[in-house]
Amino acid sequence: MDDDVLTTLKILIIGESGVGKSSLLLRFTDDTFDPDQAATIGVDFKVKTIAIDGNRAKLAIWDTAGQERFRTLTPSYYRGAQGVILVYDVTKRDTFSKLDNWLNELETYCTRNDLVKMLVGNKIDKDSREVDRNEGLKFARKHSMLFIEASAKTRDGVQCAFEELVEKILQTPGLWESSIQGQGVRLSEEPEAARGACGGVETVMLP
Amino acid sequence: MAADSDPESEVFEITDFTTASEWERFVSRVEEVLNDWKLVGQDSKNPLQKGEFNSGVWEEKSQEISFADFRFSVTHIYLKQEAAPSDGKDAEEDAVPVAMQDLLCMKNDFPPRAHCLVRWYGVREFVVISPGVNCEAIISESKCNLLLSSVSISLANIGCQVPVFVQIQQKWRRMYAGECQGPGVRTDFQIVHLRRVPSQYNHLSGLLDIFKSKIGCGLTPLPPVSIAIRFTYVLQDWQQCSWPQQPPDFDALLSGEVGGVEFGKLPFGACEDPVSELHLSATWPHLTEGIVVDNDVYSDLDPLQAPQWSVRVRKAENPQCLLGEFLSEFFKLCLHKESTEDLLGKSSLEDEAKDNSDISHALSKLTEPTAVPLPKLSVSNMVHSARKRIRRHRRADESPLSSDLLNSILLYLFPDAAEDKQSEGTPNKGVYPNLEGQLTLKKELDDANLFSQLKSAPLDSLTYRLALCICLVNFYHGGARGVAHLWQEFVLEMRYRWENNFLIHGLDGGPPDLRCCLLHQKLQMLNCCIERKRARDDGRKGTGVEKKGGCENGRLAPQSASLTSASPGKSWESWSDSEEEFFECLSDTDELKEVQPTEQERSASGRTKPEGRLQPHDKLTLLNSDEPLYIPITQEPGPMTEDALEEQSEVLAKLGTSAEGAHLRARMQSACLLSDMESFKAANPGCLLEDFVRWYSPRDYVEEEVTDENGQTVVRGDLSTRMKIPGNMWVEAWETAKATPARRQRRLFDDTKEAEKVLHYLAVQKPSDLTRHLLSCVIHAAILKEKEEEVAEDIPSVRRSIQQLVSLAGKLLHHPSPDYKKLEDLISQVAGVEAVIAHARSLKAKFGLGKNDTGEEVEGLRRFVISLLDEPEVSVIDAGRSYVGSIIHKLFVSAQRLADSSDEGILGEMEAALLAPMEDEVGRTDDRKATAGGAVGADFPPPAGREILLRTCVPRPAPYSKPLPQRLFCVLMKEDFRLAGAFSSDTSFF
Ligand SMILES: Nc1nc2c(ncn2[C@@H]2O[C@H](COP(=O)(O)OP(=O)(O)OP(=O)(O)O)[C@@H](O)[C@H]2O)c(=O)[nH]1
Ligand SMILES: [Mg+2]
Repeated sequence: MDDDVLTTLKILIIGESGVGKSSLLLRFTDDTFDPDQAATIGVDFKVKTIAIDGNRAKLAIWDTAGQERFRTLTPSYYRGAQGVILVYDVTKRDTFSKLDNWLNELETYCTRNDLVKMLVGNKIDKDSREVDRNEGLKFARKHSMLFIEASAKTRDGVQCAFEELVEKILQTPGLWESSIQGQGVRLSEEPEAARGACGGVETVMLP
Repeated sequence: MAADSDPESEVFEITDFTTASEWERFVSRVEEVLNDWKLVGQDSKNPLQKGEFNSGVWEEKSQEISFADFRFSVTHIYLKQEAAPSDGKDAEEDAVPVAMQDLLCMKNDFPPRAHCLVRWYGVREFVVISPGVNCEAIISESKCNLLLSSVSISLANIGCQVPVFVQIQQKWRRMYAGECQGPGVRTDFQIVHLRRVPSQYNHLSGLLDIFKSKIGCGLTPLPPVSIAIRFTYVLQDWQQCSWPQQPPDFDALLSGEVGGVEFGKLPFGACEDPVSELHLSATWPHLTEGIVVDNDVYSDLDPLQAPQWSVRVRKAENPQCLLGEFLSEFFKLCLHKESTEDLLGKSSLEDEAKDNSDISHALSKLTEPTAVPLPKLSVSNMVHSARKRIRRHRRADESPLSSDLLNSILLYLFPDAAEDKQSEGTPNKGVYPNLEGQLTLKKELDDANLFSQLKSAPLDSLTYRLALCICLVNFYHGGARGVAHLWQEFVLEMRYRWENNFLIHGLDGGPPDLRCCLLHQKLQMLNCCIERKRARDDGRKGTGVEKKGGCENGRLAPQSASLTSASPGKSWESWSDSEEEFFECLSDTDELKEVQPTEQERSASGRTKPEGRLQPHDKLTLLNSDEPLYIPITQEPGPMTEDALEEQSEVLAKLGTSAEGAHLRARMQSACLLSDMESFKAANPGCLLEDFVRWYSPRDYVEEEVTDENGQTVVRGDLSTRMKIPGNMWVEAWETAKATPARRQRRLFDDTKEAEKVLHYLAVQKPSDLTRHLLSCVIHAAILKEKEEEVAEDIPSVRRSIQQLVSLAGKLLHHPSPDYKKLEDLISQVAGVEAVIAHARSLKAKFGLGKNDTGEEVEGLRRFVISLLDEPEVSVIDAGRSYVGSIIHKLFVSAQRLADSSDEGILGEMEAALLAPMEDEVGRTDDRKATAGGAVGADFPPPAGREILLRTCVPRPAPYSKPLPQRLFCVLMKEDFRLAGAFSSDTSFF
């Protein structure tokens, strides 16, 4: 089955504890929401193969624990990641305020400077919102990230977030060809840069 | 045409040539190919731009065809041009073919780089049919004619207007015959090639005579012939300026007496002059017959007066460049398959016993001045570390490295070994003393993340230095054996430091930096182990250690949990800051000595005596008592190198994505959580999971205000839903956790085991493995060296090349197992950059460009010299009248004087000539007309080559025929005379 897989991409999910990283991942891989999702210990791992523009990409997704104490372990998993999803909880301002620290962390530990970063504001289904959409957008623009708001509970934006991230990685020259599994298969000549996999994602990366 | 006297041509007797079928088949193959390439019919082209032959792109495609069993290759060569706008002008049926028009075009005469046919005939597009690889040349005249008539028929059959040439005679003679056809017109291309210039054709007037007679035009007066001339002069004698580069003093390095300072330097530059010749071409682009005289007795053609000058330099084929050789020798090490033992013999590591007897001897050696390369060292202090172990086992004569040399290298690598003992206790700053500030320039050039781009190691770190030393030892001191020897000593030093608790100098503290090469990470790992071990030992020595603070120092307390206060990259490794680096984690035997809380104590307080407290929490008290909540001293999990990490993530990934897999994965990683819970329980007797969660994961303790039965608002807290799931890992861990302070727990990080693993890893590395490990550092150093050298020369193209080098190297070196061939290629590119810089140096010296010269003229000269590096040919603006021109002139004059005087065999005069002022020389040239042969005492030597291009447009063959382009390109050299003619004729009116 893996024969036609274009490449394997390593994706990382980071962010404060309890913002819903594991829930987003579960929604993406199994399309379910488990209110009984336990707090992650160390790192967890899931795989999923998706098709983008007729090319199949296998995603190895590492879900890290946001728990302060586990953070001594997790940076090691930043190594070699091609994409990172940085999550905050729109109903908890402090999870948004800590984003800068996470970016610093990323800067320090990830081994490639061209990795694609995506910011996800989660839990938009809740009505106790504390972080405005525009604030998220502004932050993403400032740091050349993709941005989307989502809800792991209602599945809003989840599929889209992952697809957009992967598409962006595949469009970034030199980011994925070098992965060992990439057998040098060419993508269709010139992917239209601006067109997103779906409508909801703000492409605020600098051109 | 060419004489048909070659006996070899008899071998090439193809009887099939005459059989109609083979011949017809060949003709139709030629047509097929030309058709395939769409070279049929009239093709309108944009007019040629000035210099387009040089600036444009030439394309080439080939196909094989055969004539009987004789193979030919057909090649289409053309200048890539934008399609001409077809504005209906193609109605001009009788326009002559583009190639014929090109014969007269004057915009691209003498192109610096072009196919010879382009130079001779000025054509922008043509086809060449030449014998296939390994096929004999077409020598006999009959065969030439046969081929040519085949071509002629093909062209006529399909109406192709592109000229087609057939290569005849031996390849090196570059003889071609060809034809171009248009509607009612034809051009024949013919070449005469001789070994010697016939005296009657050794000047312009003679050549004009042949041109006219060849045209055979009956018109009188004949329209004027347009003439372009280029004389090329070669300068080989550079004696007036000696090659600036001093080869490094190998002997000094060999003796090992130059001191540690030298080890950090990479050699650079060419050993011999990388520029061999300078060619000056004087060009008269547009002369008309009658204006200029050049015959067997007199010539007007004085190069100094020529309107155009252009210069090119011949670079030495493969100049011996030091840095490049250094690198490739280092790289070749990876072909060695021998282990260290194979190279050095087995005994060396084992006989520790003899050690002591050697020490006194060694010490006496140390007191000899030669062995102390660094001026600041105080010899008496040089004892504590590896010094002792260095010159032990082998006697000097059997070791690849002499003990003095080895000493200097080790001192360079471990300068701390020679420092005062007092300083030893100070925390390791990871920095070498900056020797006389020589590093500052390098530091500026070392882009902050160059090491991570290349996955090497920080500039001047231990690993970086080691790489340079290995390189040097490999090159100058015994190749692989020397490397093995040095490596063995290095590994011994590592073990020594581990066993004696000395931190390793020259490494950044903290966990292994995953951006660096693996070897660097391993060394950092060893340092982590040493640090932990020191902390443990210190902890054991002192009592009441708890007061001294713990590793975490309240990092988990809510108010300080913020990351903002910590500098990035440091926030997680606070354990490595020496003051707070230890925690009391004692081995099992120590546990027995610990005073256990007695029964009385327990019963007295009613609960267990708290242990391993770090500090009370600022705000929190325990839920079921008024006791403050204490933050416990905790254990730190172990740092990891990338290979271990890879292994671990593989194991974790292998558990799969099932629920059980995820559970197992969490369990495997829960050691730290469990340890923290145990520490917490020990520090807070009687605590609940809720207490733990409030400290450890505050967001999982939800507080809300509720109104109780009495109508009062109270804050009620509860665990988050996810913490309350029955049987979840947290609850599970909490239930199994025993109240045990960190110091009595099993170590999460077994520094002894990890250190031994690293030491073993180091010990089994072969010299070839070291190449693999250290290549990135060596490339890093080489690139820095080139940047540094470039700064002195300021060559934009080199800066660009270096940029490209960095990105190429980054790609290759990040790969887990880089391609050997590609790496080799990378190294040759590094060498290429070095050669360019060497060329620049050589040229600057030759043109007398000093570093500090300024002024407009000098700037112009500098630009000129730099463009000589990048461009095949550079024109001299204002030719001989310019400043640059005058410098070139002087170069020739001095070379000439040298030649003249040495002809006379008087050495003394040579010097006199060199010293004589040159001003009057310039003035005198007017009255000394250089003859074509070049007179003794002239400023310039006789031209090495003369090219004369004659063009006109006349009716041929009859005076009433259409006037058509005629062209003759003449090349006159000492042993080569060539006339390349293109003569067009009207095929309808003759
Ligand atoms: N209403 C709502 N709740 C959510 C959403 N996503 C997650 N949650 C809840 O938020 C809590 C935390 O979610 P997790 O996915 O475990 O959070 P996490 O980021 O993985 O946390 P750590 O593993 O500790 O880093 C859980 O109780 C989820 O049920 C969402 O989109 N909407
Ligand atoms: Mg989680």
